[in-house]
Amino acid sequence: MKKAKKQEEEFNEELLLKPLPDRKVLAHFHFRSSASLSTSNGGHHHLFPKAISQLVQKFRVKEMELSFTQGRWNYESWGGFDPIPSSNAKPPGVELWAVFDVPQHQIDASWQNLTHTLSGLFCASINFLESTTTYSAPEWSFPPASGNLRYGTLPREAVCTENLTPWLKLLPCRDKAGIAVLLDRPSIYRGFYHSQRLHLTSTGSGSEGMVSGIILEQTLTVVLQPNSQRAGMAYASERHIQPSWSLTSIFGKQVSGTCVLAKSSNVYLLLDRGLVAELEHLHKENEKSAENGFTSQNFWTKPSFELSADPDRIFIEENSLHSKGSSVLYKFQVEKYSESEPFDLSLTWKIPVVWLSQQAPLHASRFLMGSGNERGAIAISLKSTQLSEGFMGANADDERCDLQVNVFQVVPWYVKVYFHSLQVFVNQQPKAISDIIEKIHVSPSKDKVSPGVMEMVLKLPCKVNSAALTIEFDKGFLHIDEYPPDANQGFDIPSAIISFPNFHASMIFLKDDSVNKSPLLSKFQEKSPVMSYTEALLVPLTTPDFSMPYNVITITCTVFALYFGSLLNVLRRRVAEEERFLKEKAAKKTGRLSLLLSKLSAKLRGRQWEPPSSPPASSSFINAKLVFKVILVAGLAVGWQYFFS
Amino acid sequence: MPEISDSDSSKLPDNASKVPPQPQSQPDFDPKLMRETKPGLKRLFLTLTVLFSFLLGFPFLWKSVEIYRSPLPFREIDSLLTQLRSDTLLFPLHFHALFIGFDSDPDRIRLSILSEITKVTSQNPKCSNNYTLSVTVDFGPRCLRFPISSPHSISYQCGSITATDFVQNDDVAVDEKLESVFSGKTKEYSVVVVKGESEKAVVGKYRHAWMVVGGGWEMEIAAVKVAEVLVKVFVNGGREEGSIRNEFMPVGADGKIVLSFNLLNADPRDWVYDWDFRKIDDGLLATMIDALGPVANISVESQVLYHTPKASFSYWNQKLESHVFSNKDLPFFVNSNEWHLDTSIAAGGRSKILQFVVYVPSAKECPLLLQLPNGEISKTNGFISPMWGGVIVWNPQGCLKDSENKPTAGHRIPMQDLENMFEVFIGQFRQIFGFKSVNVYAGASGVWNLLPSERGFTVWEVDVLSRQHTCFNLHSCATTLGSLSRLVQSLPRMIIMDEIGKQVKLSLEAAKLAQSNASSGVYESSAASSRKARSLAEDSFFHPSIMSVSYYSFEHCFAVYSPFFLPVSMHIGLAALRELRRYKKEKAKYLAWKAKSNTAS
Repeated sequence: MKKAKKQEEEFNEELLLKPLPDRKVLAHFHFRSSASLSTSNGGHHHLFPKAISQLVQKFRVKEMELSFTQGRWNYESWGGFDPIPSSNAKPPGVELWAVFDVPQHQIDASWQNLTHTLSGLFCASINFLESTTTYSAPEWSFPPASGNLRYGTLPREAVCTENLTPWLKLLPCRDKAGIAVLLDRPSIYRGFYHSQRLHLTSTGSGSEGMVSGIILEQTLTVVLQPNSQRAGMAYASERHIQPSWSLTSIFGKQVSGTCVLAKSSNVYLLLDRGLVAELEHLHKENEKSAENGFTSQNFWTKPSFELSADPDRIFIEENSLHSKGSSVLYKFQVEKYSESEPFDLSLTWKIPVVWLSQQAPLHASRFLMGSGNERGAIAISLKSTQLSEGFMGANADDERCDLQVNVFQVVPWYVKVYFHSLQVFVNQQPKAISDIIEKIHVSPSKDKVSPGVMEMVLKLPCKVNSAALTIEFDKGFLHIDEYPPDANQGFDIPSAIISFPNFHASMIFLKDDSVNKSPLLSKFQEKSPVMSYTEALLVPLTTPDFSMPYNVITITCTVFALYFGSLLNVLRRRVAEEERFLKEKAAKKTGRLSLLLSKLSAKLRGRQWEPPSSPPASSSFINAKLVFKVILVAGLAVGWQYFFS
Repeated sequence: MPEISDSDSSKLPDNASKVPPQPQSQPDFDPKLMRETKPGLKRLFLTLTVLFSFLLGFPFLWKSVEIYRSPLPFREIDSLLTQLRSDTLLFPLHFHALFIGFDSDPDRIRLSILSEITKVTSQNPKCSNNYTLSVTVDFGPRCLRFPISSPHSISYQCGSITATDFVQNDDVAVDEKLESVFSGKTKEYSVVVVKGESEKAVVGKYRHAWMVVGGGWEMEIAAVKVAEVLVKVFVNGGREEGSIRNEFMPVGADGKIVLSFNLLNADPRDWVYDWDFRKIDDGLLATMIDALGPVANISVESQVLYHTPKASFSYWNQKLESHVFSNKDLPFFVNSNEWHLDTSIAAGGRSKILQFVVYVPSAKECPLLLQLPNGEISKTNGFISPMWGGVIVWNPQGCLKDSENKPTAGHRIPMQDLENMFEVFIGQFRQIFGFKSVNVYAGASGVWNLLPSERGFTVWEVDVLSRQHTCFNLHSCATTLGSLSRLVQSLPRMIIMDEIGKQVKLSLEAAKLAQSNASSGVYESSAASSRKARSLAEDSFFHPSIMSVSYYSFEHCFAVYSPFFLPVSMHIGLAALRELRRYKKEKAKYLAWKAKSNTAS
């Protein structure tokens, strides 16, 4: 009875460490909580986070993934074929997708409520995904394709500790015990890449009475640069030696025991295929004994590197597909360590090793073309990676060998894409679209309503070296209210997703009970298509001068006022009278010059000069009037100031 | 200069022709003071027309920059406010006193009880009760009733209760018997006074109380006691008068309460305790939630949290051999940094969340005891925080740390302990509502035993709560609407959506309905509609559109329109003024000439 209850809710914590070719270290934390229906339905929980199960029940979420990422996964040097990059490399910012178990017409409402809830739960502006212009409904190109899927990204969301803390709250031990102790904020956020992910699946719905439950997977992937001072000192001459590292040197902390609530608590060290092949090669060169293959017993004792702790188990990948080599996985059980004897795995390289990570068949990148604020073009370029040539050649014998590539791209409405301008280049040669694109689904954007979605299946020949897709667009005009506060920075186009449905990122280890027990390893064994994200693009749009409306108002008003005033003046002008007045005035001119002139003329005419009638009086009168006017204006100004302040 | 002279020269002949005939004939004609022709009205008329059309345009402009404000029923809000303030809400209550084995006049007894009731009753400034009393004296086969026509006394069948019913010692059975006799359609509070051997005074869990008195009892003393039980227990719920707690109801604006139960393992490295919450939920809590149905819609959820130390320290007491947490540190017990109790996603809206926490101390602070202000150790080992919830410290048996065993093996809190704990929780819950959990009511005239209900709240307590709830809701609705109307009236440039107007109207309607239901004694529906009124009032007050005060301020309006209206109005105004002045001057000239010519001729 007790045991059965215990099995209903489970928690597992795992950490995978992997040296990367460019002297960095990948750390991948994997926490998995699961609850069965019977416990999750009543609202009573023992281990599983209450908030998540309430969320699943309230919005009837079938599957959901939320990721917060900072930095960009470097597909070229960190690899793109393993299960880790293909399911954990995420676009920068926030990405959210969810599949709902509700009728079609309720999906949008559920999505909007879900975004608000998540935004409260994770202290992020996920609520911006509420508006219909920011999310889309991919039909078939996004891997968990289903009609009830909604997908949205916020490329510019800044990710920091305020998002990590609520994420940690969902773990039963938070960062108080177990592997999560390593999550030292300064060292994590110092890294080159940081992606925090939450993936949940609920199987079956309560109403149908099926056996069901919720599985919550929380992963945190970080790429860190170990401090290589010590190694640098020892091998000053050796530039290629990989830095030696330990948990303390990369995280500044060590694991002092398990989270007591975790069913299993393991740390893995993964050496990927390229590295193992390289090590084997070096080993053979040195030994010359040419022992065929290696076994789990002898491999880790090889003198190329040294581990501070003895692994509890060694898994070697079953190498059926790839001739390159098999990855090796060392397992360390944290249970064996305690506070007095903390677990601090360290890896010391003895000989320089250079290797390359396994790449996805094509390396995808995306860029903008064109200049100016009017139009441009988006180009997606796919370049063949040399590494994958080998296994592609395996089935390239027959002529009709095709490489299938799925492209999914969402474009905001203000980037108005002309789908007819789609061009395809294969090996720098323009090709007819119908030859390459097998299937295409386009839902054009609607201004201020929905973004444009483009889903494509490309069939490229296996021997392809490079392929490119270009599509032209016009930049739209936004309403003045729709500009963000920093409009001059530009507008982001979310990453496109390139997936290769014929290639599966999976690592199959020797069938063993312990492999199935570990959620991380069983995740590795799942056949998921290889996926990669392109860069997010930054499109500069014409930014208006935001004081423009006022300027326009002022200028038009002034013009109107001038027109009005002059028209009125013309209407009420008495030309004859004015001229008479002018003449009189001219006659009475009181200037000194005119006085002199009149005197002069009088002398010339030989007549007695008469002084003008009232020059002094008039001049004083004018002065008084002027002073009065100035005082009036000043008084008005003072009154105005007083009244409004 | 040359231009002027040019024009002068060119226009001279033209000008000369227009100038009125030079006054050669009339030597004293001064063109500066007189004129022969009538001054023209053409230009004056023109400028005045422009000025008037300009002025006429202003109302249109005013209309066009007007912002939308849904008309709110300000007068009705005010009348609701004044109505609730001046004439207090009256809840009709029916009391029924039944005397068995007494030989006296029901009218006289009734008068004496009534006078006692008025003595005991203290006027609640907000809501009061309008009570009627009927008295029956039962002689066995026949009885005397007063008032004779009262439907409450008629519903009682004479002789259905006899003194022998009270001889037995089983109070619960007596209570059930009374319930079966009195359970009519009307809700009345009845007190039965019986002559018997032993003296006893019990309040049942329904709406009945009984009193067995000895032979020598005076009618007056009985009347005092009856009046007290009616007023203090049935009407006021046995609570102290004027305590602040009575004002507050821990019920959310939408009439919902979420009871969130948390089991906190301070340090799971020492031990991990789990509970079988489902059994408790199905058993103890479900009946209580059912009983409180008329007052609030209650939902329950639970979670277990780990690594949740308390925020303050306890000290070791050698004599008690335990860690003692003193009363003055109690505000620092709840550690809001580490206890992520969380609000509930399922609740949403404005539900009230009450947190109930079971705290399992870590090994180094076990056993942990809470100390009362007087230095004694708390019996329940728990405390409440009003409007927040309650905390209970539960110490594991023996506080033995099983360092060898894996703590994950998981302990379970024994069912007996769990039940005790939840009884304390129910007590705390009652306390949050303002009820005491002692089963004795000590009044001025004597002691009454209170029969506890297995449902947590007795029927008469729920009645008290629902009356109080209705009263509280109506007042809070009225004050919310009142502040809304004041706010709206003080900000004339605030946009008010139609939706707010609709909500206000519905809220007023619901409040009216609640008032009328309350005065006719239908507590359940009046509580429901008062809840609706309050939640609608809050909805309208917290409507998102009201939060953003219109940006279309007066300054904005001025900035946009002044570049046009200021210069144009200056032009027009000056022109009109000049024309008017000129016309007056010219007219004066003309009149002067006319007068002169008249005198001349």
